[in-house]
Amino acid sequence: MSKSVVLCLASILFLNSTLGLYEDQIKKFDWKLTQIGKVNNAFLDLNPYQQNRLIVSTEENVIASLDPLSGNVQWRQILENQPRGQLKLIQMLVDDSAPKTAVRHQSSKSPYDILTVQGHSPAIVRGWNAFTGNLEFEWSLVPLQTETAEDSFWFHGNDMNLYHVIPNFGSHLEVTEYIANNGNSKGTTSKISASWIQKDKCLISGSYYICLEGSHLLALDLTATSPQILKKVVPSSPKTSLKAVRGVSGAVSLDGFIYSFDEKEKLCGDKVSGQSLLKAFQGDESLLVEADLKNNVLEISVKSVESCETWQNVKSTVQYPSHNGVPEVLAFSCRTNRQNTKVCSFVLTTEDEALLYVQGDKIRWAREEALANVVSGEFIDLPLSDSDGSIEDELKSKPGNENDSDLFGAFSRRVVSQIHLVRSIFLHVLGLGPAPTATQKAGLIRDAFGLHKMLVVLTQTGKVYGLDNINGKIHWSNYLRSVENFNNGEEMKLIVQRTSKHFPKQPICTIITKSAETKKGVLFSFNPITGAQIGETNNLNYEIQQIAFLPEDTTEFLKAIVLFDHNNQVHVIPENYKKQADGLYLFTANKKSAILNGFHLKFNEKSGQLQPQPIWTVNLSGHGSTQEITSIAAKNPIEHVHSQGRVLNDRSVLYKYINPNLVAVVTQGLDNIHKFVMNVHLVDVVSGSVVFSLTHRKVRGPIKIVHSENWLAYSYFNDKVRRSEITAIELYEGKVQANSSVWSSLDAPPMPLVERQSYILPFSVEFLKETITERGITNKHVLIATSAGNIMEMPWFYLDPRRPIIQPNQPREEGVLPYIPELPFIQENMINYNQTIARIQSIFTAPSGLESTCLVLATGLDLFVTRVSPSKTFDLLKEDFDYYLIAMVLVALTSASLFVKQLSARKILKQAWK
Amino acid sequence: MSLKPGKKFKWSLDFTNNKISDIPSPPGYNPSVTPVQNEVVKDHHLLIKRSWDLALAPLKQIPMNLFIMYMSGNSISIFPIMMVGMMMFRPIKAMFSALPKLSEGAQGHGQKLLYFLGNLANVGLALYKFQSMGLLPTHASDWLAFVEPQTRLEHFGGGVSFI
Repeated sequence: MSKSVVLCLASILFLNSTLGLYEDQIKKFDWKLTQIGKVNNAFLDLNPYQQNRLIVSTEENVIASLDPLSGNVQWRQILENQPRGQLKLIQMLVDDSAPKTAVRHQSSKSPYDILTVQGHSPAIVRGWNAFTGNLEFEWSLVPLQTETAEDSFWFHGNDMNLYHVIPNFGSHLEVTEYIANNGNSKGTTSKISASWIQKDKCLISGSYYICLEGSHLLALDLTATSPQILKKVVPSSPKTSLKAVRGVSGAVSLDGFIYSFDEKEKLCGDKVSGQSLLKAFQGDESLLVEADLKNNVLEISVKSVESCETWQNVKSTVQYPSHNGVPEVLAFSCRTNRQNTKVCSFVLTTEDEALLYVQGDKIRWAREEALANVVSGEFIDLPLSDSDGSIEDELKSKPGNENDSDLFGAFSRRVVSQIHLVRSIFLHVLGLGPAPTATQKAGLIRDAFGLHKMLVVLTQTGKVYGLDNINGKIHWSNYLRSVENFNNGEEMKLIVQRTSKHFPKQPICTIITKSAETKKGVLFSFNPITGAQIGETNNLNYEIQQIAFLPEDTTEFLKAIVLFDHNNQVHVIPENYKKQADGLYLFTANKKSAILNGFHLKFNEKSGQLQPQPIWTVNLSGHGSTQEITSIAAKNPIEHVHSQGRVLNDRSVLYKYINPNLVAVVTQGLDNIHKFVMNVHLVDVVSGSVVFSLTHRKVRGPIKIVHSENWLAYSYFNDKVRRSEITAIELYEGKVQANSSVWSSLDAPPMPLVERQSYILPFSVEFLKETITERGITNKHVLIATSAGNIMEMPWFYLDPRRPIIQPNQPREEGVLPYIPELPFIQENMINYNQTIARIQSIFTAPSGLESTCLVLATGLDLFVTRVSPSKTFDLLKEDFDYYLIAMVLVALTSASLFVKQLSARKILKQAWK
Repeated sequence: MSLKPGKKFKWSLDFTNNKISDIPSPPGYNPSVTPVQNEVVKDHHLLIKRSWDLALAPLKQIPMNLFIMYMSGNSISIFPIMMVGMMMFRPIKAMFSALPKLSEGAQGHGQKLLYFLGNLANVGLALYKFQSMGLLPTHASDWLAFVEPQTRLEHFGGGVSFI
């Protein structure tokens, strides 16, 4: 009894002190990218009086101020999420008395610099200080009718007034005028009857409301006292959609033509030569900026509106990276240099969500804002250096070649490799050897512990990046045009088909996605180290319903992809792997109907075709078919489970139920009595048997789930007591293993014993992920991303469902804490310490070459990369390990012992002569 | 003393031939006088007695060992482990070193057997002590680290439908 208590206490003390970071380790193992999202509005302020700034608003509902010299974020305000935070208007205030710049001069008397309007029910109007990013005022407007308010929009008048417009499609528009900084309405709501307005065919340009109606453009000036309908004829079937011209009131572009309704606005002709047009003031002059992209050269020209001539000879010709796609000019500003010529800067946003800053004929900086929407991340091993590669070759004995396995062969190989090494050293020193490859020059060489990896990141726009996981440098990027995520909330997939362990075969990554236009599958393969595309982009002629992978084969080391199309036909890529796909099991789940279908693939020798045979169907929709699948969690396929059981206090073993084919399916639905009902089913997807089911009543999403080894943890919101909770489940086979050598789901393995426990969380959960290591010896911790932007490393012994309710006279199990419903919020377990990750969405983990260390990528608006060691770095010497002292002591002791040996020998000899 | 040519061992000397030659006995030598047999008999008894003592020594140690074991307790720390380790290895060593030294003859076998059994009993005691200290790998949990993971026969793929 006393022994177990002591052990228990010792384990608590020991385990609690495992984590945390020293002050000098800050930013040593981690880095963070601060992102803002795709910029849709920008105001560039280069003026001689104040610090230069570039104020932007983005599609991620962020407003920020960037430094025009470097592109770094000066301040950033992350507004509410959609739909409440949807930015409807951002307006920079221009003070008439001060020089005409985007940002108010310090002496200005205007009450605000930046005005934003967000959401519709309620609509929130905020004023911001452009220098500090502080909130200056805020008021909100609750609409009378929430249904129509969804389509409402706002525009800013010249007289610091805000106009709120609610369109009632098919009948009329309601316009109300407000004083921008306090929300007092000016006069009453005016109704403008317009029966021709239609959803998705109208837009606002300045104060004009413009609709495309058949072959006519109809427009209304909403600020006019008695609005007149203005009409213009357009070609009947336009190819592009209606687009407002930036910086102009009452002008739209359609198929390359400009239609302007405001007589006061001059636009120099009605045809746009370039892809992008912008009108802006520079000092007192009104200028037009046109950007045109031809053959990877971007030409930007500035025209004066008065004369329609090129203004001050300002013209930029920029070498434009082809992967950026079509650009759009958002802002520009010029200043006079010493030679009295104009130097202009342009801010462009591109199709691949980058923000470019062009000055003169050069791109000064680029912000890759696609990284604010990461869908997938993979850590790829870097290639070996030449010397390591030859050692690897030497150790690798080729099967089938008998000469290589004998002693002489091994010895000769060793000698040859060493000669090569000596030669390469000589050649390198003399500078005669072959030039190092591009990856070697960039320092992309595997380190001793496998901690340095290439981080391949796939983003929602279809842009894929190769990042250095040590410093965050972007080594390469590729852009897949017009692709999108799959339906049902399934993201596009990034697959490692061949790892870089099989030198000299090159590693292969593949993106599986779907075309935004045809909705059919697209496959894009590339080398993850160099970013070079491998083969052609594979445009499939079918829609992808589901994907699976074959296990890595032994000759090509390639993981072939199995695609299941919309006609339930099976395709294997590459084709010659068809035969290996024989015997594979596949399942698809329909989210709406909550039905799972299992298939077994059979290879037909005669026809050479793969036939999917439906073998089982599971309906999880429950009584009255109210339940829908909300998430499915399988285990990480590269996971190793080192310990096959758990030692109990009587020293017997409780064997883990490690079913590799087990998948957790969560269904949610409404119920008459219990309001919200959530079910968790554990389904063996090979045999189709439901291994275990759990029901939670009065529980709401969002549910986050993590499934690994023999356990499962999921978090949810308990609606009854209004708090976040987490439930942990562990599955055990019992004290004997039914079959200790092989696992077959078709042999009807015994039903598992289920341990379960729920805990109260002190935060709300955004994502759950388990740590993973090479051999699975290290403890598993659960990484919990909280809504506050922290990542908490929660040791499994806190979530352990075997934590007992304390009973005084029972011996306790080793390493098991007594049950306490509240989980602690351990500050030192926050792996991102004070580096808050905005809008954290998901976490990706990967093993490193060290068994103790797991690499972590957290994505959201920001990107955070770090490493964690759940059981501390047991396989590494401490950083402050004193090599010199140890070496010196060793040398001193050895030499002393040799010396003393001499002395003693002499003494014995002398004694013998006596 | 003569050399026997043609014999296997070239350098061996044969003294037996010379016994027949009539060299007189040295003065004072009486071949009829036999040595006193009594002393030898007494010594032989003593030897047997000593041998029995030696053979019984391990058995006599058992109560002492029991007492030490009782006093040291079952807690796992360096000294009890060292003591029990000594208890374990001393008898084994003793068996190999002392067994050939025991006297020959009819009683010799009995002594050897007794000595062997006594030492074995000591080893057994030490093992029992190890067992009660929980140091013997007798449970399934002690071999858990060597249990290989099950190899899977079926592979699967799939998830939520993409369409």
